Formats: sequence, C-alpha cells, structure tokens
Amino acid sequence: MSEQLTFMMGEFAAEFPCDRLYAKNHMWAMPTSNDVIRFGFSAYAVRLLQDVYFLEFAVEAETILKNRQEFGNIESKKAESGLYAPMTGQLVRINEQLLEDPSGINVDKYGEGWLMEMTGDASEMLSPDRYIEHLALAWDVAQRTIKGQANAIESNEE
Amino acid sequence: MVSANNGNTPSNGLLVVVSQGQSRSPEKRELEETIATIAAGLPNTTSLVVPNLYDLAADSQSVDKMRNWSGPIVILSWLFDRAAFWVLDRNEIRGQLAEVLLLNPDLLADDEDEDEDKDKEDEKAADRVTSISARPARNIYSIDMRASGSGEAFEVEFRRILSVEQLDAPTKDVLSLERFLNPTNSTALSMDGSGRLDILSNAPASHESPLGIVPMRMDEHPARRWYPVIDYSRCTNCMECIDFCLFGVYGVDRGETILVEQPDNCRKGCPACSRVCPENAIMFPQHKTPAIAGAPVDAGGFKIDLSKLFGAPERDEDPVAAAARERNEQLILAGRAAVEIPDPTDSKSTATMERKGVAPERKRDELDSLIEQLDALDL
Repeated sequence: MSEQLTFMMGEFAAEFPCDRLYAKNHMWAMPTSNDVIRFGFSAYAVRLLQDVYFLEFAVEAETILKNRQEFGNIESKKAESGLYAPMTGQLVRINEQLLEDPSGINVDKYGEGWLMEMTGDASEMLSPDRYIEHLALAWDVAQRTIKGQANAIESNEE
Repeated sequence: MVSANNGNTPSNGLLVVVSQGQSRSPEKRELEETIATIAAGLPNTTSLVVPNLYDLAADSQSVDKMRNWSGPIVILSWLFDRAAFWVLDRNEIRGQLAEVLLLNPDLLADDEDEDEDKDKEDEKAADRVTSISARPARNIYSIDMRASGSGEAFEVEFRRILSVEQLDAPTKDVLSLERFLNPTNSTALSMDGSGRLDILSNAPASHESPLGIVPMRMDEHPARRWYPVIDYSRCTNCMECIDFCLFGVYGVDRGETILVEQPDNCRKGCPACSRVCPENAIMFPQHKTPAIAGAPVDAGGFKIDLSKLFGAPERDEDPVAAAARERNEQLILAGRAAVEIPDPTDSKSTATMERKGVAPERKRDELDSLIEQLDALDL
C-alpha cells in the first residue's frame, strides 16, 4: 500500500489506501478474482466504532442482498450499528475468522480484517478521491449525531 | 471446565447464576468473574456460571441445574432484567420477578413513570396469561450486569437479597468470605501449612466446591440463537403473533395458551412479531433497539447507534408497516413469495392499528427523534 489519502477526523488521521474503491457506507471494496469484490470497514468506520467486540451476520453465503439491506450487526465498546449491504448483489463469502474474534477489524482493517465478499454491480463505488469528498460531508453529520446521542444518554443518566 | 465437585446440587439456599455475554469484551468477562467469585463466598449461596442464557437449549446442563433448584435464584445477565426472567420462564425455571435495587443506571430516569404505571389499574389484569396460569411463589431476582462496574455493588445487593430471603445467618457449616479473608482468633479456624484453611476434608454442606469460594461452571458452548421471548405478565393470548408469523414459530399448548413452539424456525434478526404485539409482550433480547430487547418504556440507548451513518435506509413507517416489511424481507430470503402489505382500510389491519394506538407514544425513544434530525440533515 504505497499510496494513500488521509482525512482528518478531528485530531485523528484516517488513512485510505488508493489501491481500492470505497462504498458510501464506509466500506472499502477491492476486486479479487472472477468478479468477486471483497469488502471491509474503512479507517473512518473503524475510528467511529473503535474496539469491536461483537459481530453477527443474519444471513449466510449465497444470499442475494439489495443495496442497503440490513444483513447483520456489529457492536463495539462504545457503539453499535446494523450492517448494511454496500451494493446489490450476492454474498459469496463471510470472513469466518471475524466471527471467532472480531478484533481483526481493529488489528488489520485493510487486510485480514476484511468482512465479506460479494458479486454484483460495483458501478456505484467511489474512487478514493470521491470518497474523501463524501467524508467531508459525512464527518459533519457524524459529529452532530454522536454529540446528539451522547447528550441524550447523559441526560438519561441524570 | 466443569468444577471438580459438581455432583449433587443442593437445591436450598440462594442460587446465583452469572450468564456470560456473547461479546468478547474483556471488561464484561472480568466483571462476570468478579461477581461469580463474590457470590461463591457468600453464606448459603451457590454460584453458577453459564453461557449466554438466551442461547441455552432446553436440554442443556445449565438449564437442568437451574430447573432442579427449588430455592430463590439471582440471575445476572447482559440482558434487560425482564428479558432474562422470561427466558428462564420459557425454560420452566419459574417464580415471581422480585424487586431488585441494583438497577441499570440508564433506566433510572424512568422510575417515576414506572411508579405511575404501577398505580394505574390494569384493565386487562384478568386477561393476562399469568393471572390464568400463576407462577410459583419463589423469588427470582433478575439483575442487568450493566447496573454497575463494581463488584462491591453486587455484593451489597446479594447480601440484601440473602437478608430478604432470611438466608443471611451463617450456619456453622458455612464459611463466609469475610471469615476466610480475615480469620480471627475467635473463629479458631485451623490452617494448613501453607496458610489455607484446612477444611478440605470437611467441606461445607451448602457449597459445591471444597473451599466454597469457587463458582461452578458448565462446560457448554451453545451456538447463538434468535427467537422471541414472551412476557406472560403482559400477554393476553390474543393470537396476533401466531397469525402474523409465517415461519411457524408460534403454537399453543394444551391449555390453548400461546407459546414459542419452534424457536429455531425464527428468522435471525427479524423482530417483526414484536411490533405487531398489541401489549408489547414479545421481546427479542439481543435486538439493538432497547424497546424490542425488553427495556422499560422510554429507556434510551446505551451505546451510540451508528446505523444511520453506516447506510441504514431512511424510513418513515409505523410499527405495522415495519413489521410487514421485515416479514417480507425474511420471506424473500427464505425463497418464498412476499405478502402484500396490508391495506390500512382493511378491517383486520385497522383493528391492529387501533390497538397499537396506545403504543406509539410509549415506543418512541431518543433514537426516533435523532433519526428525524438526521433525516432533516439529508445525509
């Protein structure tokens, strides 16, 4: 991974290798072979999640997923989220190792910590440059969301 | 790991069960161990560590141990207290949901509302399944381990429960943790050469392990499961759920009471039936939305929900529409034909909507308003 782009999330420098594409839902997409595209979480997603403790797929390989269809969920020390398909297509493989130990996502997000492989139409994937542009907008919304939720949780604790 | 001495379980005294979380959070594991160890050292108490309660099959050893216990039980889990209680109930480990003072702090803001609810007459009291089929009198104390990160808080609560159950007086057979840690002359306990208490040959009758301070463990590794859990203190046996679910999860027993007959037919991740239940009696304890997982009404989220940022589609739908959509998604995943979304003018769905009419206000939580804000931001 020689070339990469950097996006500043506050003080934190999130890095994005240029050898792959990115989905708007903050997964990276890397074509492997036979039209199979491997997906994983981008540095932006991993930074928001932080330490991942739990990962669950609600579907199995072979499942046809629609773009943005919920197919599982992820939980970290601080946050939780559904998992949403980055594109329409067929799920061909799940990284079984992550089910045993999801911390692979934190350890090697762009390598061994990949999430799943799909076949389908990847034409909506963004180039690294376009993804950085998308992040500028997304980061703004993310900060407001997190601040809003954190306030809500605090006021509940009072 | 089965403890060396797991033969005959005495079924009197207090049984403290620690249900391990599914997640690999080291903090959670450490707290589980601390709590189990504290419980094992208390008088008249047996401490048992089991895998995630919700994943246990009816024929599991852990369930068997609990089912054979006739005394009071404390269940500690990472589930909402009500969810854990009704998971036990479906496994025929039954009793009365007893008052717990150690509560999840995120839920405390609701106390006043809950008291108001209690004061209200339950118009449907007579229809509730628990009114028709009463549970035994023994107490089950369900504690959400998110209540505190400190072992001491749990010990205080255990001691309070022992006192309520009149099990706090140590008998001569029982060694309390204090006496173990701080032996005094007056207790005159003999020590072996290494300074340990020499009681191995005379193990206290009401403890499982030789020293009485080691929790029992069950050597089971159940796969993750997903199924609805019914709160029979709310259920009125209206049969909306059995009508709605097209996967054969629900059935009725000989007394024609609704039950989750084929839990493993349930579609992983699908909470649709809980949305159509007019009494909010159906829980999916592992669902990320607290209201569906069995949290008290209006409880906020405990973790930041990033779904909206990670691509969750924007939706503006009522619970009935959400349920119909979720069911259709599952039908398609199962290779079956989707069902037409019910027409709101149709008499049956109108009836459902009306009964649901009381619920929307209560089901709203912080997340709803947040999502509205997010929608407004045009993500």
